[in-house]
Amino acid sequence: MASNEFVVPERYEDLTPAPNVDQKTLNRMALRSCWLQSSFNYETMQSGGWLFAMIPGLEKVHTNKNDLAASMYHNLDFINTHPFLVTFVMGIVLSLEQNKVDTQTIRAVRISAASPLGGIGDALFWLTLVPITAGITSNMALEGNIIAPIIFLVIFNAAQFACRFGLMNWSYKVGTSAIDALTANMQAFTRAASILGVFVVGALTVTMGATQINLTIPNGTTRGLSATTVVVSNEEAENFADLAVDTETAEAGTLAMTDMEGNALTAADADGNAVTTGIVDLGNGMSQVTYGTVTESPVSYSVASTLDSVMPKLVPLALVMLLYFLFAKHNFTPIKGIILLLVIGILGSGCGLWPSIW
Amino acid sequence: MEVGAIQIALIFIVTFIAAIDQFDFLESLYQPIVTGPIVGAILGNVELGLVVGGTYQLMTIGNMPIGGAQPPNAVIGGIMAAIFACTLENMDPNLAVATAIPFAMLGQYGVTLFFTLRAPLLEFFRGCAEKADTKGITKWTIVSEVILGLIFAVIVTLFFIAGLAVGQQVVDAIPEWLNTGLSQAGNMMKFVGFAILLKIMMSRDMWGFFFMGFGLALIATNIPAISGPALLILTLIGFGIAFWDFQQQTELKGAVADGGDMEDGI
Repeated sequence: MASNEFVVPERYEDLTPAPNVDQKTLNRMALRSCWLQSSFNYETMQSGGWLFAMIPGLEKVHTNKNDLAASMYHNLDFINTHPFLVTFVMGIVLSLEQNKVDTQTIRAVRISAASPLGGIGDALFWLTLVPITAGITSNMALEGNIIAPIIFLVIFNAAQFACRFGLMNWSYKVGTSAIDALTANMQAFTRAASILGVFVVGALTVTMGATQINLTIPNGTTRGLSATTVVVSNEEAENFADLAVDTETAEAGTLAMTDMEGNALTAADADGNAVTTGIVDLGNGMSQVTYGTVTESPVSYSVASTLDSVMPKLVPLALVMLLYFLFAKHNFTPIKGIILLLVIGILGSGCGLWPSIW
Repeated sequence: MEVGAIQIALIFIVTFIAAIDQFDFLESLYQPIVTGPIVGAILGNVELGLVVGGTYQLMTIGNMPIGGAQPPNAVIGGIMAAIFACTLENMDPNLAVATAIPFAMLGQYGVTLFFTLRAPLLEFFRGCAEKADTKGITKWTIVSEVILGLIFAVIVTLFFIAGLAVGQQVVDAIPEWLNTGLSQAGNMMKFVGFAILLKIMMSRDMWGFFFMGFGLALIATNIPAISGPALLILTLIGFGIAFWDFQQQTELKGAVADGGDMEDGI
């Protein structure tokens, strides 16, 4: 493992644009894209498989070994896109690599092009193609028709490989033909690509960040008076008249009619409306008595709702910024960042010793 | 039913392949409609396996790995359901599928845990990249896949031999807090990837765009009608801002920007 983090140069050493790669290389890349998720993990998601798929093209365009190393290293950035549409991003990135565009630009274009494809691919494949083909063929399977799984495999894979090969060729062609106009304004293009890149990362922090502190802290109790209204005979009503109580100190459950000075109290009825305590003579020997009962209910303070009232997704934002700060200002390596998060995760869960904050 | 060594070996191999295929390769061989009849063939009842596979498949429609979420694991679920139906007496296809669900849930948990623990493996990829060692990348890709395949194959084979008891013991042996802690850490790990990207692209005058993306995403994800394609919509907005900035910058320079081609570029 590397002790010091490898520094990707801003520019490649060899800045001569490489000739277009041949069809065979593009085909190899499309085939290798089948292994996009081969080292899927929660830190950089598909990055290992992405690099694996890009290698035939990168080897062709970077004949300088240092450039190849730099290119391979930054192609391990976080990436999460749809496995069947990934070749679209690969073609564009390859055209940028071939023209020796600044590394920062390539990295920004890659994350911006890759991220929105996830939703499109899910809608096309997992929500349309699979339900339809699997739905039809499952019913055939229930009838014991052995051709069912074969039909399923043929349709699914025809669609998949049409996407992989078609997008690879198309996006590479588009990328290489648009590149001249872009390289004429390289600095502005790098800036624009970075703007889109940080914008998308900001959006990803919301759409993919689910971390929340679900801790509730008991925060003492709140006292109140709940009102009860009864109709009793006038004699019994007399018993209520002198229930003078200090509502601030009385035990929960104490009945209260007036405060210590003899003034009527205000209590809340079952619907939460304020009611004044007192006795009303109904004139038929009966009285309607409204009295209060001192209540004491526990109050808990929810960290999550307080954070959300400041701004939703505050925890993901804080973590991303903390990690950015550690990486940018304190030379943290990615592995240190991961260990930090493992420690936070496990300490936060309480280790069985204190309440979990998750 | 008597189970021979060859059948155990074949189940092991089928699971190994299906485990890898669920994320890579054809990404369709692992579906229960395919594994069902294969397991059925190994255990001597293709048709029963086919029916169980179809039953399981119908249940998983709409329970797909969308947006990086892990549904109950269809590899373990599908294979275990077919095994139950073919090896246990009085096990009709529907009951077999229901019995397999806890195993699929265990597999779902295992996948989440595995994706969390696999993150350090990336250091080996980085090490190879620094040396421009393309063969090394291939090597670690294979190692990474073989580990995944072996874990699944060993677990399913153990279940196959030992049955329900082992599954329950494994689940019980893991303390709840470790469960929670690891899954939360896994949940947070993408932030490392985000932060590294920011480190590359960020400069002092870029923070505004980061917060703009964050703020607009908060709004978009809270409007039910557009929360599904939110990221695509946001990227379009971001593209508009970036494109406008590009035009501003190139006009300042006095250069003539060819905007039309830019559109094709991204």
